Amino acid sequence: MPPSQDPFYAGLGQAVRIGTELLAALIVGGGVGWAIDNYLLESGPWGMVGGLILGAIAGVRNAYRSAQQWPKS
Amino acid sequence: MEENPLHPFELQNYIPISLGGLDISINKAVIMMWVVVTLVTLLMVMASSARKLVPGKLQSLAEILVDFIRGIIMDTMGKDGMRFFPLIATLFLFILFCNLLGLVPGTYTVTSQIVVTAVFAITVYGLSLVLGLVLHGIKFLPGILIPPGTPWWLVPLMVPIEFVSQVARPVSLAVRLFANMTAGHTILGVLFGLTISGGLLIGWLPFAFSVAMNGLELGIAFIQAYIFTVLTCVYLGDAFHLHGSEDHAH
Repeated sequence: MPPSQDPFYAGLGQAVRIGTELLAALIVGGGVGWAIDNYLLESGPWGMVGGLILGAIAGVRNAYRSAQQWPKS
Repeated sequence: MEENPLHPFELQNYIPISLGGLDISINKAVIMMWVVVTLVTLLMVMASSARKLVPGKLQSLAEILVDFIRGIIMDTMGKDGMRFFPLIATLFLFILFCNLLGLVPGTYTVTSQIVVTAVFAITVYGLSLVLGLVLHGIKFLPGILIPPGTPWWLVPLMVPIEFVSQVARPVSLAVRLFANMTAGHTILGVLFGLTISGGLLIGWLPFAFSVAMNGLELGIAFIQAYIFTVLTCVYLGDAFHLHGSEDHAH
């Protein structure tokens, strides 16, 4: 068991985070848009389109945010 | 040999139990969870029963684990976070042992069920929301939805973006653990299937790969438990220190 301050494991942990960070925001954005389309407004595909765009922005923002926490070396 | 590589993830009910329409049947995953809980409890209780100044093998193991979790909490949350030590240690040990025991052939990886990981993720995120509301009051909600320094005309754009990025937190927490475990075990299943269908002539090649994959999976089992714990600490820490948490972390 390595110490949690070990830069190798801390770095590996950070690296594995980024990908799902992007994906999860896309899922949530698309899902919210789809739900608005189907249950709230019946607004055709536009809710999902807007939701996916929002999700992409939020995903990049989350990835950026988690990259800011990288240890500076 | 046409075995579906996702077949090991299907659960058969051993003892069907239904409680008021709710299916609480006992299956392999439930039994594995009991095994994990028993093992972790036994390890910790036995390790701490004879507390010596010079620790034995078991006590050293427990001390390393506890020190490791303590290090994560101190790194991400600081001293305030130590009151969440029981929760975070439980989460870490449970996920770690689920991941590791799932690699033993014939057992079941509980964390490859998205129900399990989603419950953990929602609990953690819900706790961080409740904690933030208790500590900062109702101004916690605009606090997490509007980043500091946002000009007023950007607020209508930033609120939906921040909302999505907040909801994405538990989703990414749950999906990451579930997807890594499922993918790893599917690859192992495919490789073993190839070994059997390849026969002696070529079957040794996928078998050698499956041995290497098992080593990689050991690493992934640990890393995923570690990441889940670190992110739990980060999310709880964000609720503690509303804003400014980014520059305090390191």
